[in-house]
Amino acid sequence: MSSFVELLTENYGALASGFWVTCRLVVGSFILAAVVGTLVAALRIAPSKWLQRLGGIYVETFRNVPLLVLLVISYAGLRRSGVAIDTWTAGIGALGLYTAAYFAEVLRSGVFAVSRGQIEASLSLGFDYPQTLRRIVLPQALRTVISPVGSITIAMIKNSAIVGAALALNDMLKEARILSSRTFDTEAAFFWAAVGYLILTVAATIAIRRLEQRYAIRR
Amino acid sequence: MQGTRWRWIAILALALGVLVASGCGDDDDEGGGAGAATTTTAKQEFAAGTTMAKLQEADEITIGVKFEVAPFGFKNVQTGEVEGFDIDVAKAIAADLGAKPKFIEALSDNRIPFLKDGTADLILSTMTINAERDEEIDFSEPYFIARGRILVKKSDDSIKSVEDLEGKRVCTALGSTYEETLKKQAPKAKTTLVDGYSECLEAIQNGSVDAVSTDDVILTGMIIQDDTLKLVGGEELTTEPYGAGIKEGDSAFQEFVNESIQKFKDDGRWAKSYEKWVGQYTDEDRDPPTMTLEEAIDLTK
Repeated sequence: MSSFVELLTENYGALASGFWVTCRLVVGSFILAAVVGTLVAALRIAPSKWLQRLGGIYVETFRNVPLLVLLVISYAGLRRSGVAIDTWTAGIGALGLYTAAYFAEVLRSGVFAVSRGQIEASLSLGFDYPQTLRRIVLPQALRTVISPVGSITIAMIKNSAIVGAALALNDMLKEARILSSRTFDTEAAFFWAAVGYLILTVAATIAIRRLEQRYAIRR
Repeated sequence: MQGTRWRWIAILALALGVLVASGCGDDDDEGGGAGAATTTTAKQEFAAGTTMAKLQEADEITIGVKFEVAPFGFKNVQTGEVEGFDIDVAKAIAADLGAKPKFIEALSDNRIPFLKDGTADLILSTMTINAERDEEIDFSEPYFIARGRILVKKSDDSIKSVEDLEGKRVCTALGSTYEETLKKQAPKAKTTLVDGYSECLEAIQNGSVDAVSTDDVILTGMIIQDDTLKLVGGEELTTEPYGAGIKEGDSAFQEFVNESIQKFKDDGRWAKSYEKWVGQYTDEDRDPPTMTLEEAIDLTK
């Protein structure tokens, strides 16, 4: 056990820098995924067939291409075709757009979970359509999507490890691997990487739990 | 009468089946032994309990090699087999042992764990002997000596020596000796650490790094694949003696591997293999290394 503590104290800087790289990657991707996911979900529930299809194409493309392939296309692929993209943009872009497809699907199903009767009732009570959406549909939709959004966020945190490996970004896992190859103490290096990811996933879990409690229907 | 006739037919069919099966068996043996046929034919006897006896008994030795480092260990796209200088050495050792070689991919950063946890019995993956690694595993005598060099694009005139790497982006493999070398000789270089050298080739081709630094033979392999790249001349960065990796403390097996490598060097197979994988591309003659393991370790102390 002492070797575990020793590795942490002696290489705290490297592990901490890996942790922050992963944090930035996760936060950046989450913001991108939330924005793009909401827009795509809006397309998916738009009153026009063509807009719905456009949203559908986005979801199917980004959900059906493996993340690793997306990363290779977004970095090596774009660079080879003359776009001087850097690793951060490529990494956050690929992970964010990939996760956005999942967000969009969850948001769409949340909106559909609000029964039609409520919308009709709201309209007949004199609310107009945007008001109905804002005051009746979205608050209820939000409540049902909190938990699945949490699951996707946790999956995204773990997926960020693929970004580090594919794009040579020195994230949590990469720093652990560098340490393991330098010190040959594989167990301790990967143990601390696991702890780092756990801190992020537990934080996400707690945040989701709080949101759920706050918006829960009192029964 | 009817019954006996059927019995005869059944026996005949069975006999035929056995004949066919044994025939196939013979073919298999010949196929598997093709690599071994070039060396000793009679199986060596080993004392019970030694690693050699165990591997011979299992008729398989798992050897960790590179899968994407031409010309030392790389997958032939046509045949799907791994080939290269390391593979030749590995096959020679396996043949002396009388066991079939099974090749698994060993990256620079997982090969030492592979030996420690028993995933691989032997590592032959362009691994430089150094004092740090010698604490963790045992090495054979050096079987090849590479030199540290820098690879850049032909159009790039700004890098003429290792000092010019300051401030440039340089690619090398995670867990290789160049991580440290670069830190010492060009501390301001921005190093990109990747899993395998094929990723470095991709990186210099797509412009995400300015240079690749590693062993000359590996860099030569890249130039063979892409002739818009060149080696930076001048003095070499380092001397990199390659050794076979063996689990720490298995001195009987270490001795056996050393003997096998010595035979490989002495009877001309080393020179043949060198010419095939390196010499014909570089027009440079080299003799089998005479450096000893202690000298190799002392280089890094």
